[in-house]
Amino acid sequence: MAEVLRVDRAAAKAGRALLGQELRRLGGRAWLPIVLGLSVAAAGVAQAFLLARLVAGLMGLGNGGWPDLAGAAALALLAAALVSAQEIAQGASGRAARAGLRARVFAALLAAGPADGRAAGEKASLAVERVEALDGYFSRWLPAAVLALLVPLGIIVAVWAFDWVSGLVLAVMGLLVPVGMAVAGIGAARASRRQFDALARLSGRFTDRVRGLSTLVQFNRAEDEAQALGAAAEELRLRTMRVLRVAFLSSGSLEFLAAGTLAYLAWRHGALLGASHPNPVTALWCILVVPAFFQPLRNFSAAYHEAQSARGAAAALAPLLAESEPPGLLLEEVPPFVALSFTEVKLTYAPERPPALDGLSFSLAAGETLLLSGPSGAGKSSVLALLLGFRRPDSGRIAINGQDITRLRPAELRRMVAHVGQRPHIFAGTIAENIAVARPEAGRAAIEAAAEAAQVLAFTDDLPDGLDTRVGEGGHGLSGGQAQRVGLARAFLREAPLILLDEPTASLDPGTEEVVLEAIRRLCLGRTVLIATHSAAALRGLPGRVLALEGGRAAGRRLAGE
Amino acid sequence: MRHDLMRIWALWRPRGGWLLAGLGVAVLSALSAVALLALAGQGVAAGVAGAGGAAALLLTRPMVAIRPALRWAERMVSHEATFRALADTRVWFFRRLAERMPGGLGHAGAGEARGRMIADIEALDGLYLRAVLPAVAAAAVVLAVALLLGAAPGLAALVALPLALAILLPIWLARGAAPAAEAVTVARGAVHRAALDPLLGLTETLANNAETRAAERLSAATAAMHAAERRLSRRSALAGSLGTLCAQAALLGALGWAVAGSGGLALAVLGLFLALAAGETLALVPRAGTALASAGAAAHRLLAMADTPPPVAEPATPAPMPAGNTLRFEGVDFGWGEGRDTVLRGLDLEWREGERLALLGASGAGKSTIARLMLKFAAPQAGRITLGGQDIAGLAATGLRGRIACLSQDARIFEGSVAENLRIAAPGAPDAALWRVLAQVGMAELIRALPNGLDTDCGEGGARFSGGQARRIALARALLPAAPLLVLDEPGWGLDAETERAFLTVLEEATRGRSVLLITHRLVGVEKPDRVLRLVGGKLFPATA
Repeated sequence: MAEVLRVDRAAAKAGRALLGQELRRLGGRAWLPIVLGLSVAAAGVAQAFLLARLVAGLMGLGNGGWPDLAGAAALALLAAALVSAQEIAQGASGRAARAGLRARVFAALLAAGPADGRAAGEKASLAVERVEALDGYFSRWLPAAVLALLVPLGIIVAVWAFDWVSGLVLAVMGLLVPVGMAVAGIGAARASRRQFDALARLSGRFTDRVRGLSTLVQFNRAEDEAQALGAAAEELRLRTMRVLRVAFLSSGSLEFLAAGTLAYLAWRHGALLGASHPNPVTALWCILVVPAFFQPLRNFSAAYHEAQSARGAAAALAPLLAESEPPGLLLEEVPPFVALSFTEVKLTYAPERPPALDGLSFSLAAGETLLLSGPSGAGKSSVLALLLGFRRPDSGRIAINGQDITRLRPAELRRMVAHVGQRPHIFAGTIAENIAVARPEAGRAAIEAAAEAAQVLAFTDDLPDGLDTRVGEGGHGLSGGQAQRVGLARAFLREAPLILLDEPTASLDPGTEEVVLEAIRRLCLGRTVLIATHSAAALRGLPGRVLALEGGRAAGRRLAGE
Repeated sequence: MRHDLMRIWALWRPRGGWLLAGLGVAVLSALSAVALLALAGQGVAAGVAGAGGAAALLLTRPMVAIRPALRWAERMVSHEATFRALADTRVWFFRRLAERMPGGLGHAGAGEARGRMIADIEALDGLYLRAVLPAVAAAAVVLAVALLLGAAPGLAALVALPLALAILLPIWLARGAAPAAEAVTVARGAVHRAALDPLLGLTETLANNAETRAAERLSAATAAMHAAERRLSRRSALAGSLGTLCAQAALLGALGWAVAGSGGLALAVLGLFLALAAGETLALVPRAGTALASAGAAAHRLLAMADTPPPVAEPATPAPMPAGNTLRFEGVDFGWGEGRDTVLRGLDLEWREGERLALLGASGAGKSTIARLMLKFAAPQAGRITLGGQDIAGLAATGLRGRIACLSQDARIFEGSVAENLRIAAPGAPDAALWRVLAQVGMAELIRALPNGLDTDCGEGGARFSGGQARRIALARALLPAAPLLVLDEPGWGLDAETERAFLTVLEEATRGRSVLLITHRLVGVEKPDRVLRLVGGKLFPATA
């Protein structure tokens, strides 16, 4: 428990630091709403004075009349315009904060790569929902907090000058407001973090289940899943209500204080008025200014739980943004040829699991092809992950053209690499756009040539829009084999000196497999190629050596086809 | 917009009690504010008239405590009601997706669905909390004010009319705000997609150095969303100002009535206090316009997805499940839609009970389509499919799917333990049954060696396991239920040759007595099917292994 609390506190501290940093970035944009808010308060105080004169005049205690009414109406119009301007300025500063943060969070998520094992839906919720949750902090809470301090203070000083008892009452009540809020708000930060966790769980679970909707439907389990999602939604409701209960309690205490203050001042000045008050206008003003005194406190209380949820979100985002960019050198230019060597490379993912690579050594000359074979779990994918910069070896050395690759920034290492996974992800967009991902500056002719070489045209020619056919998220409309050919087309287009292929023909039928193998053969020409495959036999006809892996080590080597 | 919101409102009917309770407390709470200030006004007015008024002022004391208490109760009950309704809506939405898109989400995408499930459903809260609730409370206040000032019709009109205008404003404002709100929701969906897609394809994004482009795309989507938000927030600010002005007009109207000397000072003071009381409730009402527009846009998008026509309509009265399990395709035509080639053309197939069929064909030839048609994930455009002589169009989909266990190409491993994933196919299956199917696919040893065994978490999409291992867990899952028909679509996908051979060798024993349809692009030679068929040009032809 103590441990949990400490972690909680550290996370909260990091979150606060993040919010402070962001505020400095915002600069002057954060101040405009505050200046406008002060003008609104000044207009309110002035209007209260005019109304006091008017009422006093009606009671025969002064000479207020139509001019005061006209003045009050003008001030009402002015205040309405200022309130609008303030609201718009607040929105602008919230948006500026969100835009900057979202960009940094997203960049950090990409930089962390697959080593951050959280679900894609959960990561997306960090970049989208959690950043949205920070909006209230900058757009509403921050100006409200400053105004809640300055405006009541100014009014207390003005009232004190006239009647110190009234001033004192306002001061005491004003001080009680934060006390009441703090008492009601004990534990609010943690409650709001839990609310966010519940939201992330619901969102993650829903995304995961919806992506496998056909699997659930097929086994008649959609209804059970609906029930389970209902439980997750119910948990979110409970967590949300727990956060709101606090917020409502604190605004309730505020209303109680406001009503009490108004009642007391009405009684006090009412009595004074009866006893032929020397300055009836100011006495009435003391009563009429009470709403203007409490309005900024009310806004502050309303924005208070936004600050809580923003702090919760900031605590979740801070660790991600604290990770500095992986250090490393930049690549001057992509070398035309690549020679590769692994020396005693070890890699362990988790201490409780056996090492994925256990002292693997091999070398590959420029332009050579190596088939890494072995059962699943032998370490083939780990070799590829290391060469993609997703992982760093625990020990041993991996060198490209004699240079240790860990000295390079991971993104720079990847500039030398073209990779085709087992199930290439197809992005939302057209097939041509999906190929162009590999080299965005490539022209249409180059994309078509790559599509031709990878046998993509063989199936797009039958589609009405050809290469411009839209494919959805997850590649709907493309079979596994077709998606793999799109992946190969990317590799052709990329023109990288080092090619990494993961089971390139696993989901192809024999007819297509022949053509694709021929395409791979051409892709291999003049390039250094590493192919992970369950069986070298499936890739017969590819030139090159075979390196059999077992338990993360080289088990044996021979020539392909032997 | 109105039609969509009415449908959402109808969805919330089971929570009618909570929603009505919220309205009731809101009305009471608003009236208590009126009572508090009416009593104070009466006291002051009486004092001014020299008639004491102490009794009225005495009564304000309990109201000082009652008013905040009622306000607290109003917020608690109304939010409780709303969040209960929203939780129901989320479950309803998932059920609809399962019913309307049983074969998967296709172009619409999981990211889109998630945006609707989370953000759009959340935006529906405005319908009740920021539109219906304040409007009802405000109407009660206006009515009370008009009644209290009934003695002076001129004053009543001066105070109540601007207040009534504040209630009518939202209807006018909502119309203008609707396109802006729609643009915000659309833009928000685009932001979700722009963030999720590169993260789903994280390997491809990184391997192609596409980080900067993905980030630029997300920034552009964010900028578009912010532009839409700016337009909407201008509308909302305008509405807020108009609301404040209406309340101020009522207040200044009461004072003007007194300055003009139209009646007694006491009534004017009462009017002034009532206008103050009403202002608090009514100032929020014009914002209901933008809240309604936002909720309407969210409802529209939600319902558009939830109303996707189902690929196969459920029969109104399903026929009883037939006794036999022979599955027949008779002259079946099928194409994936306008402008795309027909996949199956007059296809005939007889898959007899207990028969082991192998179905070969090039990728994209339509092999998997045959499985999807059997499961009613799609309906043939011509011809019919029968199970035990009964047209499957007349059978309940759940009954049909209970007969057919299927390993599809896109079978998904969910987040959760190995055991949870396997039990998706057979909820009550004992551990022994799980170990049996894991042994059949050659995974038992590996999982037994893991520290958490069957409780090992699989990760998203089975990410904790290698591709081949995850595929074998999916395969084990398909073998688990005792369904008489078993469809295996590329069971060897992602498996190394040795494992694939080993599995196909035990397949015969694992599926003894059941009908098996093996869909594959090649046979490895150990399958021993009763018949081999090849799919060419949308028709099946007998073939040899």
